Amino acid sequence: MKNSLIVKNLSISVPSAKGRVAVVDNVSFEIPAGKKIGMVGESGSGKSLTAYALMRLIKDPVSIDGGEIFLDGREILGLSSKEFRLLRGNEISMIYQDPMSALNPIMRVGQQIIESIQLHSPVSKSVARKTAIDLLASVGIPEPESRIDSYPFEMSGGMLQRIVIAIALSGEPKVLIADEATTALDVTTQDRVLTLIDKLAAERGLSVLLITHDLGVAAQFSDDIMVMYAGKLVENGSVDQIFSNPAHPYTKALLDSRCDYTIDVNKPIRSIAGQPPRPDNRPSGCVFSPRCAHAEPRCSASVPPLTSSQGRLTACFRADELFQVGAVN
Amino acid sequence: MSTELKVIASASGISRIFRGGSNEVRALDDVSFSLYEGKTLALVGESGSGKTTAARILLGLDTPSAGSVEILGQTLGTLKHEEMRLLRRQIQVVQQDPFSQLNRRHSVQRIIEGPLLAFNVGDKESRKKKVIELLEAVGLEKEHLRRRPHELSGGQCQRVAIARALALDPKIVVLDEAVSALDVSVRAQVLNLLRKLQQERGLTYFFITHDLGVAHYVADEIAVMFRGRIVERGTREDVFENSKHHYTIGLLASVPLANPQAVKSNNEQVQTLPSPAEGDACLYRTRCAVGMDRLDCKSTTLTLTKGTATHSWLCHSPQGS
Amino acid sequence: MRFKKRFSISGFIVLAIVGITLSAPLLSPYDPYGIDVGEPFLGPSWTHLMGTDDLGRDLFSRILYGGRITVLIAIAATIVALVIGTLWGMVAGVQRGWVDEILMRTADATMAIPQILFALVCVSAVGSSVISLPIIVGLLLSPTTARMARTAVVVELASDYVVAARATGLKKSRLIMTEVLPNIAPQLLVQLSINAAAAVMMEASLSFIGLGIQPPDASWGTLMLQGYGNLWNTNWYVFFPALVVTVTILAFNSYGERIRVSLDSRKSST
Repeated sequence: MKNSLIVKNLSISVPSAKGRVAVVDNVSFEIPAGKKIGMVGESGSGKSLTAYALMRLIKDPVSIDGGEIFLDGREILGLSSKEFRLLRGNEISMIYQDPMSALNPIMRVGQQIIESIQLHSPVSKSVARKTAIDLLASVGIPEPESRIDSYPFEMSGGMLQRIVIAIALSGEPKVLIADEATTALDVTTQDRVLTLIDKLAAERGLSVLLITHDLGVAAQFSDDIMVMYAGKLVENGSVDQIFSNPAHPYTKALLDSRCDYTIDVNKPIRSIAGQPPRPDNRPSGCVFSPRCAHAEPRCSASVPPLTSSQGRLTACFRADELFQVGAVN
Repeated sequence: MSTELKVIASASGISRIFRGGSNEVRALDDVSFSLYEGKTLALVGESGSGKTTAARILLGLDTPSAGSVEILGQTLGTLKHEEMRLLRRQIQVVQQDPFSQLNRRHSVQRIIEGPLLAFNVGDKESRKKKVIELLEAVGLEKEHLRRRPHELSGGQCQRVAIARALALDPKIVVLDEAVSALDVSVRAQVLNLLRKLQQERGLTYFFITHDLGVAHYVADEIAVMFRGRIVERGTREDVFENSKHHYTIGLLASVPLANPQAVKSNNEQVQTLPSPAEGDACLYRTRCAVGMDRLDCKSTTLTLTKGTATHSWLCHSPQGS
Repeated sequence: MRFKKRFSISGFIVLAIVGITLSAPLLSPYDPYGIDVGEPFLGPSWTHLMGTDDLGRDLFSRILYGGRITVLIAIAATIVALVIGTLWGMVAGVQRGWVDEILMRTADATMAIPQILFALVCVSAVGSSVISLPIIVGLLLSPTTARMARTAVVVELASDYVVAARATGLKKSRLIMTEVLPNIAPQLLVQLSINAAAAVMMEASLSFIGLGIQPPDASWGTLMLQGYGNLWNTNWYVFFPALVVTVTILAFNSYGERIRVSLDSRKSST
């Protein structure tokens, strides 16, 4: 299957009192065409920064220290900013958590969509307007012919996020990145917006990278899941594998610590002791080892590489043996 | 609820109308609830449900347009300034944003000591002792005393906020989306902590959240709010396993579970949700498959239906009828 | 208050100017009031760093002493503006409603008055001295401080930590003093620096048009006036006072900017 996106050894660093420290550390993954990938992790895991790198939105003092990104076979980190600007929005698009700040408050929403359409293809204003109305209809906005002239403040959060999606898709990209795009929405609206993204992705053969801290959202939406912890990719597999049979101790611990209405209310929630390490304070060896119930001396001695275990990729020395023992499950 | 349980606070027929120019927003409409000593009432709702307004009114930070609030036998509207101030010691709050609810210019010690200073409790020594006691009760260490909020993580800040809320040994703690801004694993830690503290100190919790999973875990009683009204109320089992109101059912169906085998939401809809129609008796009618075409949902005023001693709802045609 | 780099050039210059001018009696090589001590209108040299004036007095010494007067007036005016402006703005921000309206409209009205006209009226009423000038200049500067203080207070009062403090039963006055004030202090410090620059400018302008410090005392403004009157004899007499006034204003403004920038960057750090 053709890959829309290939990331190899991506590393991003920020300055700190101890010099530059890695916030994304040697991350590699592939997104096949038409697949929906859920990237899950907690704060500081580096998931958002990875997405920003894909859009080449990383600015000083944050910097990309190494790695390659192939968008549809073409390496993009080496391109000049001018060259990449032609791709941004056209081949790869991104939507964010807060639709209010993504839109210009003093410009009508239709105008903003038209602006985006005309940026990506040389059409007249009237053609662009027609396309914009169609886009509004396809993202579920009722009465698009009149809504097109509304201002952002006249619309709800759910509607605004749909406008944002419309703008993101106006350039007909191959990859859509959604960074916590439904986190600020009510759960009933979130459900519809995710269904919408799902539908649009299927219609257009889009690859979607959905970044979220919400395990439920990731489970319901994605085909594959990537788990990030403290800047490292610790597990990468299909959604069924990850949720039914997590291989990495962190994934397992994360799943155990969730609080949804199916958990046992009579017991304390199985939380992970301690906190994730700060970028300037990362432990040697496996980054999760200090908090891992199954850690051994070799875990702090060297960094476990991403290897295949039970059909998916895991960065854990003990993945196979823990599975045999039935410990991590 | 068992008759042995003591009602420690109650709201009766609370309405709150906000007027902005020609606009009138009914944030709360005839809301009533009771807090039982040592128990947790979870108020569940999405944006615009009025849950935050309800919290503010309970804390005495806002006055209702109608109805009354009683805390430990005292009616809020009738109290003199100083009496109200003294009553505040009994009901404290922990808010959503871990950082902004702490004064960024104060140290952790000063923050937790704040309520003690407000009432000139004890002397410097005894206050410091109490602060350390609280610090340890919430799982922090002495070395955190000197730190400022921006030097702490979200979870640690939230623990400081909880310690501060307990400084005056209140009976009631209002938790306004207190775990919503925390990472999943940190949320688990804080929920465990809150439960432990409740058991140790006999605290009464008023837990406001939009997260059904959290509500399910913490609550002895759940009240589901929609557009300023409590549309369904009951125990965990009542609300989650025997839901009557269609909003509750819709809400439960929308919550994504971390289980890919779980039946995905039946909802194939992508359209935006319809807004409520102004004059309707039931504000959920425009979104309700059952009530959409019913005349009584449009024009007959709703009255509370009491299903069982614990379970009640506000619906002309509830599930199963 | 912690800033990223403790040392800043503008801060150093501000400190240097204030320190040097206030120590004028210790540093001055000559007596600024002496008469006929030497040749008039000399240019800069090793004996007279900034040359001499129309009466042969050392200009550098006169500028040191002049600076002392200007800087003292500016500092006093800044303090007056800070006290009046902060109180003005805070009362408006805390009370809101019609009190806020009246206080802020008054501030707007005061800012609309032409400053020189206001100064002229005040000076003709109470005269100009090292007591009256700081008050006049301070009054002129207070509306801007008031507006800034009001906005800052309103923003802080809407914060979550204030909600928490109110819920703990903290009395309003103590809340303002112990919770809010520390949070608006940095912005007040910025305003302080900017006001100091404006105060120097105002004092110099007033003295330049003859409304300020009168001879035989001389502030920088007065010196500029005298130098201006002797422009046909030498450029240096007006140049040096003008130079030090410019540098001082630049330094105060830069320092204020610098604090403001470091505050903004701290607020918006990821």
